Amino acid sequence: MNARRSGSNTLTAYLFLAPALLGLFFLTIFPIFGVAGISLTNWSGLEKPALIGLGNYTEIFTSDFYFARSVVATLYFALGAVISGIIYSFCIALMLNRRIPARGFWRSVFFIPYVVPAIGTAVVWSWLYEANFGLINYVLHLVGIPKVQWLQSTTFAVPSLVAMTVWGMGSMIVIFLAGLQNVPRAYLEAVDIDGGNTWHKFRHITVPLMSPVIFYNFLMSMISNLQVFVPAYALTRGEPSGRTLFMVFLMYREGFIHNSFGYASALSLIFFIFIAALTAVIFATSRTWMFYEGE
Amino acid sequence: MNRQNTTSTIIISVVITVLGLAVLFPFFWMVRSSFMSNIEIYKYPPLLLPTNWKLENYPYTLSVFPSLRYMLNTLTITLPSVVGVLLTSTLAAYSFARLDFPLKRLWFVLVIGSMLMPGAVTIIPIFVAWTFLGLSNGYTALIVPAFLGGGAVNIFLCRQFLMTIPRDLDEAAIIDGAGHVRILFQILSPLIKPVLISIGLFTFILYWNDLLGPLIYISRNEQNTISQALANFRSGFGTDWKAIMAACTMAVTPPVILYFIGQKYFIEGIVLSGLKA
Repeated sequence: MNARRSGSNTLTAYLFLAPALLGLFFLTIFPIFGVAGISLTNWSGLEKPALIGLGNYTEIFTSDFYFARSVVATLYFALGAVISGIIYSFCIALMLNRRIPARGFWRSVFFIPYVVPAIGTAVVWSWLYEANFGLINYVLHLVGIPKVQWLQSTTFAVPSLVAMTVWGMGSMIVIFLAGLQNVPRAYLEAVDIDGGNTWHKFRHITVPLMSPVIFYNFLMSMISNLQVFVPAYALTRGEPSGRTLFMVFLMYREGFIHNSFGYASALSLIFFIFIAALTAVIFATSRTWMFYEGE
Repeated sequence: MNRQNTTSTIIISVVITVLGLAVLFPFFWMVRSSFMSNIEIYKYPPLLLPTNWKLENYPYTLSVFPSLRYMLNTLTITLPSVVGVLLTSTLAAYSFARLDFPLKRLWFVLVIGSMLMPGAVTIIPIFVAWTFLGLSNGYTALIVPAFLGGGAVNIFLCRQFLMTIPRDLDEAAIIDGAGHVRILFQILSPLIKPVLISIGLFTFILYWNDLLGPLIYISRNEQNTISQALANFRSGFGTDWKAIMAACTMAVTPPVILYFIGQKYFIEGIVLSGLKA
């Protein structure tokens, strides 16, 4: 078969694309309709489902005490993790961008938590957080701070999980560092010539040039952190009193532990609309603070 | 000016060293605890190192937590998935990078746009579909999706790379009578090997570390993946911390080894997905 004939090109293109298009339809588009359909039923996964209209939605919005808790917990966690993650990663990247000894080694070190199973690190962190024997409380005790029930406290449960998550965000450091290395030296020197200081360089050169990278990291880590699951499943089970009842964990619990597929689907669809709206807002506002070279 | 620079470099080196050691600390704590007796683990104030290293914790842990079995199970899912992702994402990327066909723009936007789709939303209908096919309990449901395009990010990365390779190479191959399959797999694939290695490594890590998927599709303990088994082990053996820590150490080791072997590709892969996208 000769690749030049354009009729066969179309056929080849669609053959090559077939797996991806099957994936698009069967893993994304149809399931969205599926989720909407199942959400209108009281399906338990076992008996024949009955249509109950918007019953699940009425229940979620009027009588489900956990739903509101879950939305708050998820937003709190995701915003906390993304904002502190970006600040943490950007600071480390700025420091690693200097000519310091063993720079490559440290870059690798910060990346390691990202490659290991989240459950493994969650387990270790849970021991560090442990109230009576954990190391964190011991260190705090040494400087005179009383014991904190990290994962059991309504105040500290989410911040504790955020800290653990930020620790695992080594990938962001690597992306920021690569972005920083693309900032042209000439621009920074121009600030020197104009008598500007380090802050001026940071504020007027580095941040604007990095804004597309920051935007990408913000968006992608927002989407992934809104879907947080492992810490809630492994460490807190949604406790204390729903403070860590993240949306995906709630969906999992309703769907696969309580076997309420209908109810869990309604939650999924609300979650989807919620993330889509948030993504739209992030895109819409990005115009105001993002800088594209050449624009 | 110069002295000021040296001082700030020293300060930054110290800060980075302290933070870097802090990042490594949980791993140290995990390994150190895996060689202690439970009595030592519960010592307060905590001991920095075991007084005598209990190597026998590992054979003991293996007897209650068959990690090799779980790792083998995980590989049974992970390896075919890596193949599926590499194969189907390069095929799609080739279509988008090299071929012209009707509706190309539409499919491109939809496929790449699905990157923004939160995977958790579609868990239930996909599970329901597998149930109808009678395949909701086993590895099939976890492996097959990898053969369906291999993920938007991977397709996009591959395409970006293929676009940088001059078309002259394909033209020459076409004149020699090569078809698209040969152009892609014999001529272009070797040229984008770095990005393929990155994708393969990341897919491996992603599947190795996955927890939610196995929780939904694997119910029998002897079929558990390592992450899943570890999660169950922790809730089942709640207080036997020496065994939990040893199990953790065993679960964490393979990705870390893989990372050190393929470090360059991990870093490049992350940089590419972050900067090109």
